[in-house]
Amino acid sequence: MKQRMQQHWGLWLTLAVVLLGLIGVGLTRVNAGLYRQTVAQVTHVSAVSHTATSDEFENKDVNDVQMVTVRILNHQHRGQTYQIKNNYTQSGAMDQAYHRGNQVFVRIPADRHSTVTIQGLKRDTALAFVAWLAIALLLLIMRFNGLMALLSVALNAVLFYGAIQVDLATNGGHVYTLFGVLAVIFAALTLWLVLGWGRQMLVTFGATLVGTGLAVIISLTVFAVTHERGVTYESMQYVTQVPRPLFLVETVLGSLGAVMDESTDIVASLFQLKTERPDIAANQVFKSGLQIGHSIMGPLINVLFLIFMADTFAMTLLYLRNGNNWGYTFTMNMSLGMVQSLISGIGIVLAIPVASWLASRLMPGEVSTR
Amino acid sequence: MNTITVLGAILFILMTVIGGKTGATAFLSLIFNFGLLFLAVVLISWGFPAMGVSLVIGTIILAFTIFFGEDNELAAKTAYVAALIVMVVLILIIFPVEHWIMAQGFSLEDSEDLEGMSLTIGVSFVGVAVTEAILSTLGAIAEASIAIAAGLSEIIEQHPQVTTKRLYVDGISIGKQIIGTTFNTLFFGFFGGFLALFIWFSGLHYSFGSVINNKIFVAEVIMVLFSLIGVILTVPVTTWVMTLEHRRGQSKLKD
Repeated sequence: MKQRMQQHWGLWLTLAVVLLGLIGVGLTRVNAGLYRQTVAQVTHVSAVSHTATSDEFENKDVNDVQMVTVRILNHQHRGQTYQIKNNYTQSGAMDQAYHRGNQVFVRIPADRHSTVTIQGLKRDTALAFVAWLAIALLLLIMRFNGLMALLSVALNAVLFYGAIQVDLATNGGHVYTLFGVLAVIFAALTLWLVLGWGRQMLVTFGATLVGTGLAVIISLTVFAVTHERGVTYESMQYVTQVPRPLFLVETVLGSLGAVMDESTDIVASLFQLKTERPDIAANQVFKSGLQIGHSIMGPLINVLFLIFMADTFAMTLLYLRNGNNWGYTFTMNMSLGMVQSLISGIGIVLAIPVASWLASRLMPGEVSTR
Repeated sequence: MNTITVLGAILFILMTVIGGKTGATAFLSLIFNFGLLFLAVVLISWGFPAMGVSLVIGTIILAFTIFFGEDNELAAKTAYVAALIVMVVLILIIFPVEHWIMAQGFSLEDSEDLEGMSLTIGVSFVGVAVTEAILSTLGAIAEASIAIAAGLSEIIEQHPQVTTKRLYVDGISIGKQIIGTTFNTLFFGFFGGFLALFIWFSGLHYSFGSVINNKIFVAEVIMVLFSLIGVILTVPVTTWVMTLEHRRGQSKLKD
């Protein structure tokens, strides 16, 4: 009965949190006062012109011009309205049409004769809505476990932010050490939150570090032997520091979650096996571990592969439509993602025997017989 | 020798040695998926509608990933049906959201890479953003649906008379076990790759307000969130499909 009551309260509490969240999403429509930038709402749009264009590669597009009337929502110009000309294309690679009700950032120059420009769409409401949807589903279906998953991601995000600040303070001079240590802390913290402190957590932690470490050693060896031919660091995006260390660190961090995921699964199943059959031999445990690993690795490598590759879509498309051939387009856009996927894949595969071996040797029963 | 070839060869050898036949087929599915992804871009660049391309390619990618990775027939079939349902539901969420949030194409941060390129290519970048979002979620959906379906089919094998209600409880409990680590796979997978961008944001002192409205950042975050929504939905959907299969199997036995 008491448990029933608790479940009841849990449900009501979750529903309350979900409803409050939705109100929070709505509030982002009226948060203009919190922004330093000038925020405006589109009150009226009218089409001005519509011209078909064609570029040197015979791509047909349409150029549109619209007159956008905006009312300023914050700061010293609040309440004033402006008419702004907006150029956009049908493909919308870097521009977009605006509609009535959109909130936008505008720049109002101090000098009266310069024109007011739209800097971009205010996306926080839509972003908050999607975040709300994800969190609401997580809490409603997973309850407490969902909350813990959120907590671990939030803590990791804070650590990530802290490490970036340190990296900037040291001008990227110690990227390897800094993010190497960060990866270890990430793994320890995440596994501690998922598994709690204990032998199982330590075994999983060990498997994660050794698996990832081996993958890095193998990749560096391959890099040295092949002189990194085909690894186009120059095509890396958003780089403000030396690209090579950044790329390696990105790869390690990118695969870390997947390797942990897999090690957790394998080690947990093996510990379970040991509890059910305490007399099982270490070798048998090792073999069972490999067996479990077989079916996990394929899907897991595909998860990362699809994530790494999907990001390159827009740029790849642009290259193809700009008259580049497939080979060059691949090299400039997809090769880095490919290298990243392959290194992660190697880490994921190697973590299987490592996790199985560590689990088979470090099981509670084994130690007591020593 | 090219670095990609050597790394690929090493991965293939490792997967075959450690994973045996399952490992080798899993490597094959990886190659097929790469081919399909590239095909998707090429098809869109030829002018095929992005939505249609993502639906067709997505259906095939799910099939390769699920049927090449799982040997148990009941589990694989259930996982595939469930993954397809989740994909369709996700498309219904992704499509309107991408048109609302308009985080498509490129941003000012990309300017350097875009030098000398013609941007007026006549392909809707919102459509491309929808495709990107759908395809990036597929791996996570496939993985989760396989995990749930495999777990449940094992329970059915050991207790053939298990009730539907009991299966629901078990399905959700397997889901609770995998959600924490899957969440981390997604988080690290997406954000590990965007370290450079975050250093850029911090280095140039973007305010919190500009970061959460930045096109690239928003595009990336909603991709993580879509994947997460996909994984969460996969748990009850896979369980539901499994109960249907189970009930059908039971009524067949009675006949």
